[in-house]
Amino acid sequence: MADQPDGIVLARHRDLKGRGWHPWLRRALVGLVALVLVVALFGFVGQSTSTTRAETATATLSVDSPDAVRGGLLYQTRFTIMAHQELQHATLVLNENWIDGLTVNTIEPSPVNEASRDGDLALELGHLAAGTKYVLFMDYQVNPTTVGSRTLELELDDGEQPIASLTRSLRIWP
Amino acid sequence: MDIVLRAALAFAFIFFLTRIVGRRELSSLEPFDLILLIVLGDLVQQGVTQSDYSVTGLILAAGTIAMMQAGVSYLNFRFKRVRTVLDGEPIVLIEDGRALARNVHRERLTRHELEEQARLSQIDSLDKVRWAVLETSGQISFIPKQ
Repeated sequence: MADQPDGIVLARHRDLKGRGWHPWLRRALVGLVALVLVVALFGFVGQSTSTTRAETATATLSVDSPDAVRGGLLYQTRFTIMAHQELQHATLVLNENWIDGLTVNTIEPSPVNEASRDGDLALELGHLAAGTKYVLFMDYQVNPTTVGSRTLELELDDGEQPIASLTRSLRIWP
Repeated sequence: MDIVLRAALAFAFIFFLTRIVGRRELSSLEPFDLILLIVLGDLVQQGVTQSDYSVTGLILAAGTIAMMQAGVSYLNFRFKRVRTVLDGEPIVLIEDGRALARNVHRERLTRHELEEQARLSQIDSLDKVRWAVLETSGQISFIPKQ
């Protein structure tokens, strides 16, 4: 007795012939979305911070900043200098990847001077006595159109004399 | 350019979510669902337009979503196989007053929900149902016995 409603094929729509795998596909796709969320919980897509450190006899330079951020996100980078010896003209030199495609909302405390040094940004911090600690905060916002991975290079100089340097990476998710 | 890509991605992702979440979950609009819908809309908007407050941005985002919807609609109309993938297929839940346990379970429905839906269709007992079909829209259509 073929009295089923028009458009209904009993084998397909009642007996689910050929559709047995559909729920498994759905579960797999739901699992995939859940996996993305779990990965996000572990900070893979931002914005948990990590610390990178460079230590020399003259000074210790460390940076606390996220390794991954997303478009539009506000975040902070903290530069810490521990001077073991006196630095007459402490200067932080940041390569362009620290700035390019990012909006710097503020730098606190304001550097004594800012300059371009062969395309890099040089922040002159002034005199640091031996045994003193200097903390510099840079507050950023990611420009929404900026995406991709980049290498961040940072150098602590005394005048033109390199004291310590370090390299980090930053991944920007859309 | 990026706003068009973001809008297209948002459309595709929401479409994907609606397909995998399940039809029944999306067909009802209870107070909580309504609130969730508004929250979801706000989240999507932020991801699509971000800090673009321009009319141009609005035109690009809304235009992209409209074009994507028109495209999906055309594919649905033109290709049966695509329609099956994009819309899903109906599934028979009740035949001759008897709930088909396998199908009902597969759609995470309870007998209580079936009875409730039947009542909404002015049917006081599932025994009086000839066919009940969960449509691709998530609605259940009831065809009573003669």
